[in-house]
Amino acid sequence: MRRNLSLLFRLLRIQIRSQLQYPASFVMEVLSQAMILGFFFVAFAVTLSQFGDIGGWTLGEVALLWGLAEFSFGMMDMIFSGFDYDAFGPLVIKGTFDQLLLRPVNITMQVLGSRFVLRRLGKIIEGLIIFIIGLSLANVDWTLGRILYIPVLIFCQVLFFGSLFIFGATTTFWTKERLEILNVFTYGGSEIMSYPMHIFPRAIRLLFSFVVPAIFLSYFPMVYILDKPNPLNMPVFTSFLAPFIAISMFWLSLKFWRFGIKNYQSTGS
Amino acid sequence: MNAFFATIHTSFRRQLTYRAANLSGLFTNLMFGFFRAAVLIALYKEQTSVNGLSINGAVTYAGLTQSLIGVMSFFHWYDLMHTVYDGRVGADLLRPINYFSYWLGIDIGRALGALIIRGLPLFLVFSVFYDITLPESLIQWNLFALSILFALLISFSWRFLVNLASFWTPNALGIGRFAFGLSWTLSGFYFPLALFPDWLANFCRLTPFGASLYFPIQVFIGNVQGAEIMQGFFIQVFWVVTLIILGHIVLAQGVKKLVIQGG
Amino acid sequence: MEAIIKADRLSKDYKIYKDHKGYLGALRNLFDRRFTLVHAVNDVSFRIYPGELIGYIGPNGAGKSTTIKMLTGLLVPTSGEVQVNEFIPWKDRKDYVKHIGAVFGQRTTLWWDLPVRDSLELLKHIYEIPSDRFKQNLDSFRAILELDAFMDTPVRSLSLGQRMRADLCAALLHDPKLIFLDEPTIGLDVVAKQRVREFIQFINAKRGTTILLTTHDTADIAKLCKRIMIIDHGKILYDGEFDELIKYYGGSRVLSVEFAEFYQDPTIDQAKIIQRDGVNVIYSFKREDISASKLIHQLSEKYRIRDLEVQDQAIEDVIRDIYENQLLYN
Ligand SMILES: Nc1ncnc2c1ncn2[C@@H]1O[C@H](COP(=O)(O)OP(=O)(O)OP(=O)(O)O)[C@@H](O)[C@H]1O
Ligand SMILES: [Mg+2]
Repeated sequence: MRRNLSLLFRLLRIQIRSQLQYPASFVMEVLSQAMILGFFFVAFAVTLSQFGDIGGWTLGEVALLWGLAEFSFGMMDMIFSGFDYDAFGPLVIKGTFDQLLLRPVNITMQVLGSRFVLRRLGKIIEGLIIFIIGLSLANVDWTLGRILYIPVLIFCQVLFFGSLFIFGATTTFWTKERLEILNVFTYGGSEIMSYPMHIFPRAIRLLFSFVVPAIFLSYFPMVYILDKPNPLNMPVFTSFLAPFIAISMFWLSLKFWRFGIKNYQSTGS
Repeated sequence: MNAFFATIHTSFRRQLTYRAANLSGLFTNLMFGFFRAAVLIALYKEQTSVNGLSINGAVTYAGLTQSLIGVMSFFHWYDLMHTVYDGRVGADLLRPINYFSYWLGIDIGRALGALIIRGLPLFLVFSVFYDITLPESLIQWNLFALSILFALLISFSWRFLVNLASFWTPNALGIGRFAFGLSWTLSGFYFPLALFPDWLANFCRLTPFGASLYFPIQVFIGNVQGAEIMQGFFIQVFWVVTLIILGHIVLAQGVKKLVIQGG
Repeated sequence: MEAIIKADRLSKDYKIYKDHKGYLGALRNLFDRRFTLVHAVNDVSFRIYPGELIGYIGPNGAGKSTTIKMLTGLLVPTSGEVQVNEFIPWKDRKDYVKHIGAVFGQRTTLWWDLPVRDSLELLKHIYEIPSDRFKQNLDSFRAILELDAFMDTPVRSLSLGQRMRADLCAALLHDPKLIFLDEPTIGLDVVAKQRVREFIQFINAKRGTTILLTTHDTADIAKLCKRIMIIDHGKILYDGEFDELIKYYGGSRVLSVEFAEFYQDPTIDQAKIIQRDGVNVIYSFKREDISASKLIHQLSEKYRIRDLEVQDQAIEDVIRDIYENQLLYN
């Protein structure tokens, strides 16, 4: 394990070094990414100002959801770059995946180390700013529990999105192409998590509760943190299922990943 | 001219063969349409109209943007860039057809294919779920069709221009990400521009991005009248002409650069 | 001697999926997929012994790469067994691959964006190669493969020949006992081919590395391999000495000579003139009648020669004959 990790860090260091080769243009790209992504929130904010609230939530409250999801997704997108199905699909199709199998190192580590997109910092920064805006606008009755739950939530969301990436990457063993439909759950999931989810029709809510349990990672916990009314009448403990759900999802995705590799080895590329 | 139509035809046929991809793209856009519509409905609550935009109009807006993404290929188009980086550009430049027209032909074929197997079905399914605002007269339909045609020309010329960056730098992908991010933000893709403060909405409307997404949709849902329509078309034509000329100028420079430095 | 590779009744089937037509077909494909089976490798058995340099040849689609993928642990056999040393490749993949090296001519095993030097450095850590050993190996390979000119070039900008040399070096840094080379000379010019061949020979002779090599270039085989295996349609058609095969099925070789002056009658014993064009003469001769060097010697005693070349044209003909007529089936 220690060996795997040190190798992983070595791989990551090399990538980071090469991406920082032109620091000025790197910084430009990160900032412009942050701005472009942030404009979605700006558009939401100016639209919301015509209406006042959405589903009983104020701008600040939504910003907390929004910032958290963006920040965590950005973190995940950077850490799990190797599993980004946009990049992993071609790896499988071109047969480059074989070369990873030929090396005496844990395959998951190798995929993690195969790509590290540092410019995702743009999204991370954007998420952070939105989250800070949320903190300053929303009236939160901060208790120790609520404060401590925030980093836990970030960790859980990173795991959650990461497991979606791993699921997505694994499907390319079969599909041999990147299917856009995965975006519904990854990017779409993160978009949905940016809103108080009771505003969505029942079918969508059910989909994102039981198939892809996004609702447990943003809406329910935030209902607790903000002490909002609970129009879905969920029991209180649902606010605290995030760690359980995230870890289970992650575990499942790794199982599926292993299964995918096994299958890949028996069907060939 | 013949070569141009042949290019459209081939590209159209090829687009139709990506069945799994189109199907999954359709479903994806549909789901995003649902998400956005739900958000708009939640915002409107009991109100039926805000800033002159009715709730049905707003929901139609959400469905139309998603139907048009695949057709206009607004936010992700690096095909030309790839041919520069893998060297196919050489053969393409030697074709007995204007390089711009060649790619335009490909893009029109692609857009037609996407319209038929992705855009239209999506909108039909979408309209099963929501009360949709449709054009009320034949004239309005025709105006919409015309505005879509101009929109495609603007969208294509912009993408062409952005992709040309690859003639100069090996890192044009970064430029593309920025440029397409720009079209994304200013086109009114996230929320109907009508719900923005006037100054912001007006600014977006003047850009090629607003002209290629927001305006056709406004025509479709009947949210523009008389002089405003004329004005919108004027802006569209302005951008079509400007971007095509710009595209040709930049292309000429790029080809020179390619020839002199050998890529 | 104990065999290093034991393959017993090894088979691999691929499923080739047939898509349903039309738009609804795309939906239907999700649930109901039709396929046909391709027997890429079909009941193949062989033994390979330490120190051998074996040519594994066959026409396109014969099953060579599939065999190699099974031997390297990339593919699980459909049936049959394969054992390399004490390992079962696909089961013990992580431990097993420490002891082997592989080069796939069609694609690199190096990091696309990294300079060669960094790629090799990474491999040092991946294979946990002791520093002194790494340095020794690298120094020696660098010299033979002439890597110095492009050590700091990213792999993506290497020419095919350079990349292949870098790949060969990479495959051998960790002192594998056994290496698999799948078309290591594909697309290379004559000089690069020669350099690669010399390197393969060097590794086999000096280090005793066992080598399994696939190629479409019969000259590779003629210059490198004592033993060859011919596979077609997933079946091994021949497994034995290369010379035997040539002696048995083929006979003639070809010597093209350019004389320094025109000779009326440049005949010579034991060789037949098959083509004549001024000072350019092509002889055909039998391996068992006379060796090429002897023939050249005799010629040069009688005539003044400007240039000459022994072609393996004949070998290629033999191989083609075998492929086309399935000569070995009976
Ligand atoms: N992943 C795969 N899926 C389905 N069929 C495959 C796959 N890989 C190979 N095949 C088929 O299996 C057969 C053997 O292929 P293989 O690649 O082993 O041949 P080869 O001897 O290496 O050929 P070449 O000389 O062209 O490299 C061929 O008919 C090929 O089409
Ligand atoms: Mg092969």
